Amino acid sequence: MAEALFKIAVSAMSGRRNRLKIFPALTLAVFLLPILVGLLFTWAPAFGYLSAAGSNRFSLEPFATLLHHPSLPGALRSTFISGIGASLMSLGLALWIAATLYGSRLWSTIELSLAPLLSLPHAAFAIGFSFLIAPSGWLIRSVSPFPSGFTYPPDWTTNGDPWAISLTLTMLFKETPFLLLMIFSGLSRLDVRRTIWVGRSLGYHRLRIWTRLIIPQLYPMLRLPLLAVLAYSLSVVDLAYIIGPSLPPTLAVLIDRWFHDPDISSRFVGAAGALLLLLVTLACISSALVLEYLISKIASRKILDGRRKSPFELLVGSGSFYALILLGVNVLSLTALMLWSVAHSWRFPHFFPARFSFSNWSTALSHLLEPVFVSALAAFLSCLLAIILVVGCFENEQNLARSRIDSISQRSLWIIYLPLLIPQISFLFGIQVLLIIFNLEGSWGTLIWIHLVFVLPYVFLTLANTYRSYDQRYSYVGTALGARPLRSFFRVKLIMLTKPILFSMAVGFGVSIAQYLPTLYVGAGRFATITTETVSLASGSDRRVMAVYALSQFLLALTGFLTAIVLPAIMFRNRRAMQN
Amino acid sequence: MSLVLDSIKISLGTVQLFKPLSLTAPPGSIVTLMGPSGCGKSTLLASICGMLDPGFSFSGTIALNGRPLNGIEMEHRKVGILFQDDLLFPHLDVFGNMAFGLPARMSRRQKRERVNNSLAAAGLEGFGARDIATLSGGQKSRVSLLRALLAEPEAILLDEPFSKLDENLRGSIKQFVFDQIGLMNIPALMVTHDRSDSADGTYIELK
Repeated sequence: MAEALFKIAVSAMSGRRNRLKIFPALTLAVFLLPILVGLLFTWAPAFGYLSAAGSNRFSLEPFATLLHHPSLPGALRSTFISGIGASLMSLGLALWIAATLYGSRLWSTIELSLAPLLSLPHAAFAIGFSFLIAPSGWLIRSVSPFPSGFTYPPDWTTNGDPWAISLTLTMLFKETPFLLLMIFSGLSRLDVRRTIWVGRSLGYHRLRIWTRLIIPQLYPMLRLPLLAVLAYSLSVVDLAYIIGPSLPPTLAVLIDRWFHDPDISSRFVGAAGALLLLLVTLACISSALVLEYLISKIASRKILDGRRKSPFELLVGSGSFYALILLGVNVLSLTALMLWSVAHSWRFPHFFPARFSFSNWSTALSHLLEPVFVSALAAFLSCLLAIILVVGCFENEQNLARSRIDSISQRSLWIIYLPLLIPQISFLFGIQVLLIIFNLEGSWGTLIWIHLVFVLPYVFLTLANTYRSYDQRYSYVGTALGARPLRSFFRVKLIMLTKPILFSMAVGFGVSIAQYLPTLYVGAGRFATITTETVSLASGSDRRVMAVYALSQFLLALTGFLTAIVLPAIMFRNRRAMQN
Repeated sequence: MSLVLDSIKISLGTVQLFKPLSLTAPPGSIVTLMGPSGCGKSTLLASICGMLDPGFSFSGTIALNGRPLNGIEMEHRKVGILFQDDLLFPHLDVFGNMAFGLPARMSRRQKRERVNNSLAAAGLEGFGARDIATLSGGQKSRVSLLRALLAEPEAILLDEPFSKLDENLRGSIKQFVFDQIGLMNIPALMVTHDRSDSADGTYIELK
C-alpha cells in the first residue's frame, strides 16, 4: 500500500520533468555565454581589431607596445608577489590553524566569527587595514609619541609599498577566512575526530596525522576554492587601487588604466595586457596543479615510512598566535573604520579622536542614498534570479534521479567555478565592446546580468549540500495528501528550506555588493554603487569620508546576513524543529 | 601485565556519568562493559586513550602493565582502538592502511612481508593492493583490527565493534577478533549495549 502510494506520488511529481529541463541550459547560457563572448571580444583588439576605433587589420603591435612598456616588469613583479604570495600564505595559514587548533575552544570561536568576517567586503577591509598600517595609522599611533618618539608620522611607505607587501597582507587576511570556511565545510564530511583518535592510537603526532591522513582527504575539496583565490589575487583591481603599489601598479590595475585612458589607442595595449593576465593566471593555475601532483607523489612515497614524530611539533603553539592575529587584525580594522567615521578631529599621534561627531554621517547621507539603493537593488535582483536558476537546476537534477546526496561531480564543479577562475578584467572589456555595439551599455538589465555571473556560483555552492540532502519524501507526502506537485513544492519543500535558501541568497547579496569592475565596465558610468564610490574615494585623503563609505558597504552586506538569520527566526518562531 | 582501572569517575559539569569504576583486564582476556547508549561508554574509552573532550572532568588512575597512563600523551600510551565503523583511510589501499601502523625501523620489504603474513593468516591473502572501497563489511572489520594489532599495542579498546555488522557475519568476525586478541595476549576492554557480544557471557554493568 505504502509503496503504491509512493509510486503514484513520484509519477505525479515527475510530470514537471520536461519543463524543468530548461533550467540547466538557461543557467549555463546566463553565466558562461558572457564569459566566452567577453573573452573573444577582448582578444580581438589585442590583435588590432576594434571597429569602434576604426581599426580592423591584424597587428601584433599591441603586444609589442605592451612588452616594451616600462611599467610591465614592475607590474608583473607586484602581480606575482601579491598573487602567489597571498594564495600560498593563506592556504598555509588556514591549514596550520586547522591542524594546530582543531577541537580547541579557539577553533569554535573561529567558526563562529567566520560569517561576520566574510561579510566584511574586501574594499572596506582594505581601507580599515590601511588605517592600521599607514605611517599615521593606529599601529604607529599606539607607540607614539612614546616610545617611538614620533610627533609627526614617519616618512615610510607602508601603504601601497612598491613590493606589494601591504596588498599581499590585505589579501592574506581576507582570503584566509574564506579558505577556513571551505576547510570547515570539507572537514564536516570527514570523521576528523576519530581519524585523529585512530592516528594517535597508532602512535602518530597530530601534525603527522594532518599531513598523512586528513589533508590528503581534505585537499580535493579545497582545490577549486584555492584556485579561485589564486586567480582573484592575481587579478584583483579594487584592492590594488586602495592598498597596492602605484608606480608601477599591478598588471590588473595597469590594464584597467589603459582601458580608461582618454587616448583610444591605449585600448589595444589594454586588451593585449588582458590576454597576458589571462595567460599568467592560467599558467599559475596549471603550475598549482602540477605542484599538487608532485607533492602528492612525494608524499605518497613517504606516507608509509612509519615516522611518528614531526619536526614542527614545538611550533604547534604558534597556531593560536596566528589565529589571534587574524581575528585581531579584522576586529581592529573594523574598529578603526568605526572610530574614523565618527571622528571630528583626530590628529597624529593621538590614539583616540579628540572630538567625536556624527556630521561625517549626516553630510554623507544625501550622497550615500543613491549608491546604497543601486547596490541593494542590483544585489537583490541578481540574487533572486540566481536562486530561481539554481533551485530550478537542483529540481531538474532531482527529477532525473541523478542526484547523489553530498556529491557534486568534479566536472560540473569546474564549470561552476569558471567565472571565479578567469580574471574579471580579461573578459569585461570584451563585454563592454559588445554592449556598445548593441547599444545596451548602462542598462539595468545588463548590470544585473553581469552581477548574476558572479553571484550564481556562490549561491549554487552554498546551497548545494543542504538542498540535495532534503528528504524528498516530505514532498511525496504532500503530493500524496492531495496537493498538486507545484503546490507541494512551494508549500512544503521551499518553506522547509527557507533558512538555507535565505543564507545562500545572503552570500550572493554580499558578493554582488562587493563587485567593482563588473559594475564599472557594464554600467558605462551610469551606475554608482556603494563599492564603486568607496573605491574611488579611497584615493582621496579624507579618512572620515572613506570610513563612512566603507562602513556603509559593510552594513549593506551585513543587512543581507541579518535578514537571513532574523526572517526565518520570525517565520518559524513557534516551530522548534525549524530553529536549527 | 594487565590494564587496571582504579575508581574512574567522569563528569560533565556537575553530572557524573556513571558510578566509580574499577576493573582489571588480564592479558588475552576481553572484559565487557555493558550499558545503554548515552551512559558514557565511549567517553570512558576516550579517557583511557587520552582523547577526553575539554569540558569533561576525570579522576581515578589508569595503569597499563604497571605504568600509569594518566597525563601521558595518547600517541605514547600504546592503546589501540577499534570502532563500529572501520575508519580505514580511504586514500590508502589495504597494504597502506596496515603498514601505516608498523614502526619506522622496519624496511619496506619487512613491512610488505609482515602485512602479507598478517593478511594470509586472516584469510585475506592477496588483498594488499585492494582499494578500501571495494571491500565487504566483514573484510573491512578484519583489516581494521589487523591494522590496530600490527602497531603492537599493549592493550586494545573495542567500541561496539560488531554493532554495524550483518547478523550472519557477526559470529565469525567476533570469533576472529577474540582469536587475534588471544594470540597477541594483550588485555582488551569492550563496550557494547548487546550482551551477546560478550566473549564468555560475563560482563560488568556500567551505570
